[in-house]
Amino acid sequence: MALSRRAPVGLVLSSAWLGICLISAIFGDFFPIPEWNAYDYENVGVPLFSPGHLLGTDFDGTDILAGIVHGARTSLGIAVTAVVVGSLIGGALGVVAAYRRGWVDSVITMYFNVALSIPTLVLTLVMVAIFSSPNLDDPSAGMPRELVIVISLTLVIIPILGRIARSSALTWTGRDFVLVAESIGMTRRSILWTHIVPNVLPSMMSVGFLAAGVVIVVEGGLAILGAGTDPGASWGSMLAKNRQDLSILPSTTIIPVIAIALTVMALNYFGDYVRLRIDDRESRI
Amino acid sequence: MSEMFSLVDLKVRFDTKRGALNAVRGATIHVAAGECLGVVGESGSGKTVMWRAAMGLLRGRRVTRQGSVTLDGTELLTMTEKEVRQLWGTKIAMVFQDPMTALNPVRRIGSQISEALVKRLGMSKDEAAARTLELLKLVRMPETEKLVRKFPHQLSGGMRQRVMIAMAIACNPKVLLADEPTTALDVTVQAQVLDLLSELREKLGMAMVIVTHDLGIVAGHSDRIAVMYAGEIVELAPTVELFSNTRMPYTEALLNSIPKLTDTSGSRMRAIPGSPPDPVATTTGCFFAPRCAYATDRCRSEHPELVDDGSGHAYRCFFPLGKGK
Repeated sequence: MALSRRAPVGLVLSSAWLGICLISAIFGDFFPIPEWNAYDYENVGVPLFSPGHLLGTDFDGTDILAGIVHGARTSLGIAVTAVVVGSLIGGALGVVAAYRRGWVDSVITMYFNVALSIPTLVLTLVMVAIFSSPNLDDPSAGMPRELVIVISLTLVIIPILGRIARSSALTWTGRDFVLVAESIGMTRRSILWTHIVPNVLPSMMSVGFLAAGVVIVVEGGLAILGAGTDPGASWGSMLAKNRQDLSILPSTTIIPVIAIALTVMALNYFGDYVRLRIDDRESRI
Repeated sequence: MSEMFSLVDLKVRFDTKRGALNAVRGATIHVAAGECLGVVGESGSGKTVMWRAAMGLLRGRRVTRQGSVTLDGTELLTMTEKEVRQLWGTKIAMVFQDPMTALNPVRRIGSQISEALVKRLGMSKDEAAARTLELLKLVRMPETEKLVRKFPHQLSGGMRQRVMIAMAIACNPKVLLADEPTTALDVTVQAQVLDLLSELREKLGMAMVIVTHDLGIVAGHSDRIAVMYAGEIVELAPTVELFSNTRMPYTEALLNSIPKLTDTSGSRMRAIPGSPPDPVATTTGCFFAPRCAYATDRCRSEHPELVDDGSGHAYRCFFPLGKGK
């Protein structure tokens, strides 16, 4: 192993932060903290480290720590779902395009290029405007906001990961062992599964981490534009909800920003780490 | 001897931006069951393309194949890709040049070999695992139980080439095409791998074709040798006959270009002057004439045919060596 056996500090810190987020997302309901959408009218706009409100409250009296814990579920949930579904669909399209070539490749590549040419925020805004209920208090008028956001972010992810999968699959398809597998009579389908996919997965994973970071940021952007989830439900919408109080009570906006920043940094670090491991591995084969 | 694998007037053409590239210009050659044929030629002589095209590995919109290829009596060129794939592995298999890249780096040796057994021969997982161990013993690998758990990068080049051979013979093919099987290996390992191939050929009764650029490789291991130049077979003879009664000036030049231990140090290598003809351009006359020491006006204007002198020794020359002028 060319890399040192001790895990790098960055990896430890990133894993720790993502671990905390993950635990919050899954077990947040059992934490001894107020409800994320409960209003404590006794303690409106209290600063950090107030009794009962570790990270303070905003001017609605909602607990910031509770918001961060609950926001982890929404933000990470949206990011993970969009990236997993997007990489499954994009990966499948990319690998098929690379292996079949011909018109299949042309059509899929054209779709990727067209999809990539649409700005992310424009696409998601339009999707939210068309499909979800315009009135947050009456969700029955359209599809649930979260679902529309997840679908539109998945659509954003598909071409990004699809292109990665395609180019990676292309280089692996040209390798000799694919020719060898063909020469002993393996079917195209089994070659695809046994020889191409396992080699394409690591590079998709590395980009997948980066993409999850992008999704979290885009979700925050959507919230600020007013097309996000319920006010305060995700990190982005906490930010959006409290942004006018930035000068009076900065903790209400800075804490969600820190949560987003740490998460994106941790995800990017993971992506880079995976990339490094792949490069190291491929240099030996 | 029965003919196992026959190429009759096989032509392979690539459509390139510069025009049609004639990689193989009408090759006729028969490989008998149990025979070992050596095919020798320099880079770009069409030797690899010829066998890959014959097997059907080389196809696509830009490849045109003409002529006839029969494997055990079945015509291959008119088959669909699906039909040909049925024959790969079970009737005809190939050993490739570079064992470094020809194994999948992320899969264990055992699963790479047993894959074909399960998918092509319909064996159960256990049967395939047992057969994999047998195959590895057959290619003279030590500690086979440990070996099947290893990844390709844990093996040396020679061991990987043995694994490649085990994969190629897994489904008992009747014809084994070895494309530069030893080029990427050390000289000492080359001899071992060649001996192994010869041994397997006898044991399994396969017909074998060894494609190489090195006459020395095939000298001790083949029954007959075909020499290729510019997409044509220029000389075809039993191995001993080829070396003792070389008829084709190109073959002679090839033999002369091999450095000898008796050469005084500092003496120049006897390279063949010039370079092979452009495969896209049309050339008249003998393709080797521009580089041939014996070329005459006739050689430069008329293209010689491959003629058999009656003893199984065929050559493509108007003025064969050792036959008087």
